Amino acid sequence: MRKVLVVLLAVLGMAGLALAQTTVRVGVLLPISTVAGKAALNGVQLGVDEVNAGGKVKIELVVVDDGNTPATAVPALTKLMTVDRVDIVIGGLASGVTFALSGPVKQYNPLFLCIGAASSVVEQAFSDYGRFFHYHPWDYHNVAAALEFFKHLYDSGARRVAILYEDGPFGSAGIQTYRQQLERQGYTVQAEAFKSGSGSFTAILTRLKGFRPDILYWIGYDVDALPIAAQTRQVGLEPKLIYGAPPAWPVGFEKNTLSNDVAGMTAWLPSVANNESRRFVTQYRRKFGEVTDEYMAPMGYVIALSLGKAVEAANSADKDRIAAELAKVQMSTPFGPLSFKPSDTGRTRFQGFNQSIWLQFQYLEGSRRPVFPASRAARPLRFPGNY
Amino acid sequence: MDLLLQTLINGILAAGIYALVASGLALAVGVVGIVNFAHGEFSMIGAFVSYLLFVWAGIDPLISLGLAALVLFLVGAITYYGLIRPVLAAPELNQMLLTFGISVALQNIALLLFGADTRVVSTSYQGATIALGGISFGVPPFAAFVLSVGLLGALYWFLGKTRLGFAVRAVAQNRLAPGLLGIETQQIYLLAFGLSAALAGIAGVMLSVMLYASPTVGFAYTLKAFAIIVMAGLGNLRGVVPAAIILALAEAFVSTYVPGGGGWVEAVFFLVIFLALTWRSWRLS
Repeated sequence: MRKVLVVLLAVLGMAGLALAQTTVRVGVLLPISTVAGKAALNGVQLGVDEVNAGGKVKIELVVVDDGNTPATAVPALTKLMTVDRVDIVIGGLASGVTFALSGPVKQYNPLFLCIGAASSVVEQAFSDYGRFFHYHPWDYHNVAAALEFFKHLYDSGARRVAILYEDGPFGSAGIQTYRQQLERQGYTVQAEAFKSGSGSFTAILTRLKGFRPDILYWIGYDVDALPIAAQTRQVGLEPKLIYGAPPAWPVGFEKNTLSNDVAGMTAWLPSVANNESRRFVTQYRRKFGEVTDEYMAPMGYVIALSLGKAVEAANSADKDRIAAELAKVQMSTPFGPLSFKPSDTGRTRFQGFNQSIWLQFQYLEGSRRPVFPASRAARPLRFPGNY
Repeated sequence: MDLLLQTLINGILAAGIYALVASGLALAVGVVGIVNFAHGEFSMIGAFVSYLLFVWAGIDPLISLGLAALVLFLVGAITYYGLIRPVLAAPELNQMLLTFGISVALQNIALLLFGADTRVVSTSYQGATIALGGISFGVPPFAAFVLSVGLLGALYWFLGKTRLGFAVRAVAQNRLAPGLLGIETQQIYLLAFGLSAALAGIAGVMLSVMLYASPTVGFAYTLKAFAIIVMAGLGNLRGVVPAAIILALAEAFVSTYVPGGGGWVEAVFFLVIFLALTWRSWRLS
């Protein structure tokens, strides 16, 4: 009789748990054929596993590929909204794609958890949309973080900056601001446009040779990384630092000796020393058998965890109640503390991270190591570098 | 003076890889008479062959050159036999649409297999330079230039000194008459298209060393190859190297001497095509 009672209680307990569990379907809209998109998806899945294991919330993912182009992303979002009937979307990695999504998002009104899209143009596009939660810092945060590093370099003796920028929206949008800010710091600046993917830099680098830059700062894409590193040496430019700002780096670049001493900016590396980061790395390795350098992985993880917290607190699958709880979330993450405030410009209401998450890294001996700010550096910056 | 010399050497060395890509295209246009928009994608396959051999077996890309040429010869031959041959008698527009379709298909197959990532190989000589007085240049572009001149020399020799080469030239000049003399026209086309793809594959290996491997790496070089064969005269192999040098020098001088000229590279490319076509039409009128 006693055994029967125990079993009965256990069954009732499980049933109660099941009743208390809130289930939400979440659309994930990412460029999953790219390194950053795949990393983001892995991070989201890892976070969802952790949330679901807690038992109180069940997140079901519906994953679609945005193809990294607006032409694919808009119909993919429409499918999520009309066929899959999701109320919450995680996505918006590339700025151009997210900008194109702003119209359809406002039409279908999901709770939109934006993982990337740093451009202020996106901030403007979503300024009148109340269900927009932007986790990634905005471009002016990126500029502020980079300028802090350049100030450090100025203090270390750098005086001339040559900026190579790709002549599309990504490279040329903030170039005048960069130039003015660097000149305000005391730098002499020479900026040159280039065609991303052309592979031909020798002519521009030859032109820059006469300028004798201390820092060669290039704003372009992963396709430009190796040609710039190689051709800088080939024309004998010899800057003290090659600093790159692509959205992603080429696969295998760290194994190439030409990457040695090349510096860049990221929001996270596996070697970042905080408890949440270490826990993330351990879990990621356990699930995927490897660890990634891509900060979009922990960003996806943070989004899934914060969503789980909000759903649990709301105790409901209603997107507005979840949004209200998400606005109150405070949590530790691999990037540091997360809470939502209005953006610096006041255009959007829910901004997650700011410039404080950015760190500067340098390729040293086959991997990226944090070198700035000093509080987060794993190794001292090699300046001047050997190119 | 050093700047001028450096610009000259930059331009001439850049011409090496341009000529390597364009020579294969010139062969396809000149012999088979088909405008192959998928030529750059053959280079892309060569770049991936080099990358995969490097990653899987640690094989240096320079050793991969022969294998990539062989693989691309087969890819070219299969493409010709399966896709090009049935449309040889069709209007030129159909042929162009077909090769454009092959280009899109190959890019998307690569995207499915490898994703959109940029991949790089790592060799000891990628950053190697040669310094002569006040000027310096990279070993890989120099090697690409030497390779290009060597391969084009071998191609001229093949076309000018061997019986098979004579047959190829005969077919290039007239599609019907060589057949009446017992030359297997279809086999010549197959050989020429295969050789064209093999040259693109070799160029692709050099691209993997100098730039990267990705589904889109060949596209820009297809455009440059078209500019070069237009300048050289469609199908004129002898004009390929001079035309490549003119294009590369024009780009180098604009990038070096015009402020902000790096963003004008595509304008230079279209200007060169425009001038070449205008000059040709004026000369013919």
